[in-house]
Amino acid sequence: MTELLVKPIAVAAPAAPVAVAEAPAAAGRGTARRLLRFLARRPGLVLSGVLLLLVAVAAFAPGAFTSADPLVGEPAENFAAPGAAHWFGTDELGRDVFARVVHGTALSVKATLIAVGVAFVVGGLLGLVAGFVGGWVEDVVMRLVDVLLSIPALFLSLALVTALGYGTVEVAIAVGIASVAGFARVMRAEVLRVRTAVFVEAARSSGTRWYGVLARHVLPNSLGPVLVLATLELATAVLAVSSLSFLGFGAPPPAPEWGNLVSEGRNYLGNAWWLSTMPGLVVAGTVLAINRIARALDGEWAATR
Amino acid sequence: MGRYLARRLAQAIVVLWAAYTVSFLILDALPGDPVTAMASAGLDGGQVDPAELAAIRAEYGYDDPLVVRYLTNLGNAVTGDLGNSVATNRPVAETLGAALPPTLQLTAVALLLAVALGSAVALLATYTRRRWLRQLLLSLPGLGVAVPTFWVGLMLVQLLSFQLRLFPAFGNEGAATLVLPALTLAIPTGALVAQVLAKSLLTALDEPYVQTARAKGAGRVRIHLAHALRNASLPALTVVGLLAGQLLASAVVVETVFSRDGIGRVTASAVGAQDLPMVQGVVVLGALVFVLVNLLVDLVYPLLDRRIVVAGRRRSLA
Amino acid sequence: MARVLARSPIGRCCPHAPDPSPRPSEAAPRLEIPKPVSTVRSRSARRAVPALLAGAALALTACGTGDTGSGDAGSGGEPQSGGTLTFAVGSDAGCVDPQQVGSNDTIYSVRQLVDSLTDQDPETGEIVPWLAESWEVSDDATSFTFHLREGVTFSDGSPLTAQVVKDNFDAVPNLGALAGLARGYLTGYTGTTVVDELTAQVTFGTPNVQFLQATSTHSLGLVSSASAALPAAERCSAGIVGSGPFTLAEYVQNQSITLDRRDGYDWGSSRWADGEARLDSVVFRIVPEAGVRTGSLQSGQVDAIGSVGQADEAALSGAGIELQVRANPGVVFGITFNNARPQFADAAVRQAISLAVDRQEIVDAVFPTGTLPATSVLSSTTPGYTDLSDGLTTDADRAVELLDETGWAPGGDGIREKDGVRLTLEVLWAPVAGTNQPALELLQQQLRAIGVEVTLREQPIAQLLPTLQAGEFDGAWGNVTRADPDILRGSYSTQLANLYRLPAGELDELLTAQAAAADPAERADLVAQAQELLVEEAFTIPVVELQTTLGVSPAVHELEFDASSRLQLHDTWIS
Repeated sequence: MTELLVKPIAVAAPAAPVAVAEAPAAAGRGTARRLLRFLARRPGLVLSGVLLLLVAVAAFAPGAFTSADPLVGEPAENFAAPGAAHWFGTDELGRDVFARVVHGTALSVKATLIAVGVAFVVGGLLGLVAGFVGGWVEDVVMRLVDVLLSIPALFLSLALVTALGYGTVEVAIAVGIASVAGFARVMRAEVLRVRTAVFVEAARSSGTRWYGVLARHVLPNSLGPVLVLATLELATAVLAVSSLSFLGFGAPPPAPEWGNLVSEGRNYLGNAWWLSTMPGLVVAGTVLAINRIARALDGEWAATR
Repeated sequence: MGRYLARRLAQAIVVLWAAYTVSFLILDALPGDPVTAMASAGLDGGQVDPAELAAIRAEYGYDDPLVVRYLTNLGNAVTGDLGNSVATNRPVAETLGAALPPTLQLTAVALLLAVALGSAVALLATYTRRRWLRQLLLSLPGLGVAVPTFWVGLMLVQLLSFQLRLFPAFGNEGAATLVLPALTLAIPTGALVAQVLAKSLLTALDEPYVQTARAKGAGRVRIHLAHALRNASLPALTVVGLLAGQLLASAVVVETVFSRDGIGRVTASAVGAQDLPMVQGVVVLGALVFVLVNLLVDLVYPLLDRRIVVAGRRRSLA
Repeated sequence: MARVLARSPIGRCCPHAPDPSPRPSEAAPRLEIPKPVSTVRSRSARRAVPALLAGAALALTACGTGDTGSGDAGSGGEPQSGGTLTFAVGSDAGCVDPQQVGSNDTIYSVRQLVDSLTDQDPETGEIVPWLAESWEVSDDATSFTFHLREGVTFSDGSPLTAQVVKDNFDAVPNLGALAGLARGYLTGYTGTTVVDELTAQVTFGTPNVQFLQATSTHSLGLVSSASAALPAAERCSAGIVGSGPFTLAEYVQNQSITLDRRDGYDWGSSRWADGEARLDSVVFRIVPEAGVRTGSLQSGQVDAIGSVGQADEAALSGAGIELQVRANPGVVFGITFNNARPQFADAAVRQAISLAVDRQEIVDAVFPTGTLPATSVLSSTTPGYTDLSDGLTTDADRAVELLDETGWAPGGDGIREKDGVRLTLEVLWAPVAGTNQPALELLQQQLRAIGVEVTLREQPIAQLLPTLQAGEFDGAWGNVTRADPDILRGSYSTQLANLYRLPAGELDELLTAQAAAADPAERADLVAQAQELLVEEAFTIPVVELQTTLGVSPAVHELEFDASSRLQLHDTWIS
């Protein structure tokens, strides 16, 4: 389970493997039994894990779910209601909505991972530098972070999209930059906490170079909460990315994304409710699952120890 | 108290200045040229003439170095002049000013609704002794933050407008048109309020002073509302302050869904038209609202908790 | 002229449809210029326009669903005054000056602000009196003399005089790019002479046979002298002062346009009822989503909506909503190339793309019932239309052959390449109708099949023209509505705006010649040749005829189309 939980994060940030090392190292039958009991009492968590696994498969191997072409439909079969032939129905050009949602997952998940990756790397670095260096550097960085926090994230993303242009990657970067501040704060707080810890002081006084201290002690021990934040941020990023896509700043048609699928359905609210409803349900389900798992990572597991 | 306020005010001004600067830098990095966009906006007519282009460039100061331009613009911004829209040629401040009232109305109602709904869920969830009801209520906020706002809006329109015909689907006329957008906007905010409030209520109910009150024979309702809620509302208030800016930003999506006039639609079309001055105006406005609401929260804070008069502690609560 | 309209392609699609209108079947040449007539003021002789209009609508749409037209005009009882009509349209052109607006959604509202010198009968095509009681046209069509009505005032109180006409027409050529239509109508304008207080003589350096019809359009609707003197941008944003049945009460960009009734109005077109408009006010709300427009009409939040798509037809009909349809004359919807782009400067490439388009499939999948696939550059209801359906067939095999011959060879992903360049066609489009995106996505599929990649670039309608002017596009999706074939000149002559960068050549000569051809038969012949050339060279790929489809609540009566399928709201009333 631990592996499964870490998986989305691992993709999000190359630095993540450290987390595995950080996870309870004392593997064994005891842990396995504890894990099973832990999961058996939490069917919602298991379900969330399964759902995210499905989303991940859809993102990287959409062919596993559907053989239908997401871009080419049969115009004569347009607006078919959801049924056995088309699980999510068909759209105005007779394209299979399920296929479009499945293939749209690739772009949406890609955007989400880029967004969290940008926020994680940039925010993490800022926080690390601020916390480790201290002094006026810390002041400047943290005031900048305060300013970023005072501009509503969506406005900041929109300004960045205006500057960068439209497209999946542009939207992802914009969302990522807009959430840098949170990462910087948490990272700095953790670095400050770890920096004063006894073993770090010990390493320092024993003559280890600063980068050695940073790489061997400070970084691994302060990453935990940042990774939990990254998991939570995945959920926020899914919503932010699909909002911008909904507003029409994502991939151009006919490429499907979760957001623009909902948006395109708006023109057919009266006669084809499934066009907007189905992709929206997938977004909601994904976010719920991510949040549930983030909660499990953030203390629930540790609390059973 | 006076020093506390002065310090808060100074901080607010610094944040505003910095927000202006950040947005200026972001938008100035744009590869496109605002002058070409302005000249070819069709309003000045004909093909774009290089001489004319240079003239406009000079007129708007786009041939000045970055620093000069920044200082000039900042000076104008201080006097309330945010420049002219590239797309419509009208002053940004004027356009935003006209669009602000309906958005403020929407966000204010949404905020009230969010606080009411969120508090109701949190209070009920912590008060009830029925396990299933508590579980159900406590799971609602999680659902509320997970559903995409634009999708909730569409579902509400489909169900309550088109099917049941209870409320209008779009527009600004009358209170009825406010119901669905405000509800849509209130759901994620209310969910967060409920989450925070429920958590701090549960903590507060375990506090010694509550035990004392209980031992003295105070009723459950009284303990809940008079003792626990008062202290538990501080973190919730902080959240509301932090959410005010987000609420304004979410209005972009909600106003688009409900074809409502306001800042949101102005923003969406400004981004669509690459209207830099307008986008910058919106960013600054967002920061302004954030700063003002947090000033307000800072003012209310000491009223709720006399201990907090020393500035700076609130941040750590967030 | 009448015959042109009568030969709308009923026979192709609904062979049993009876000829629905009792109009005179004169065997006149196809293109008849109304003779210099001294028309008697015929206020009292107002005909039962709505009833006829319903017939005309049926005739023009060939395969109407049966509930077309405002057929309730007779059954709604006595016309009533008062009330507010709320009309939801999909877009805002960003300008409220009728002389500078070319987008239907906005024309609907700004048309009501101004009156024109003449009006055009939507059914017969005949030019009839409005602000001009009568007129004379010189034999060589270089001089047009208008005799104005007495007692007409603009809403700022100033009277209509010959000087106002002069001020208007003198200002048009300087209006700038947005006023492309109006400027095109006044090509070769040499001046207006104020003969007397109420007589204006408009002269041209070269014959300009289309000018009389042009005076009936919104583009040459008259504004007050004060408005005519304002800069173009100011007229756009603040609006103009007109003499029309409504005045502009409020304009909120991208949100709404509100009109109030003009008190004391008594100089409507000879086709209208006497006196003031019946409605107190009209509110045009901008509602971009077709689904929301449809739902709001069903739930009664609005009284009428524009651009109804095929998908909404069933829902609206089921709710007792009437669909009012009329085919638009003018240039059909299609993709026009930026002919300056090297890959599209080759006629074979353009022809191949045209051959790959399956027009019928697009029409069947996306457009409202009754819509016709394009059979020429002009729609079948335009005077001077020539059926070129043989040149607009679908033949993907031939398309592939053509592309192979030109050296564009399929690359790794199936998209053709030549010298390292992909055969990509970036199509510029504006979301003014719900049908645009699905139609373009289907086109995208069809062209993908022959190895041409189509990418779609959406822009707000207000931003479209600057991009066209700057030439930053491969192709553009759009149409232009006008009930005169001279619209071909406005769109494709290299001597005018030439937004599509056509090469100068034979086409120019044909287009210039038709504008000067006083003989209707000769003009028809020239117009036919121009269409043939355009289709043959595939400078533009005609796809589908625009059919205006409005959804109108049963409580709304006498909501009428004018000759260009735009609205006339003077007689409209709500019960």
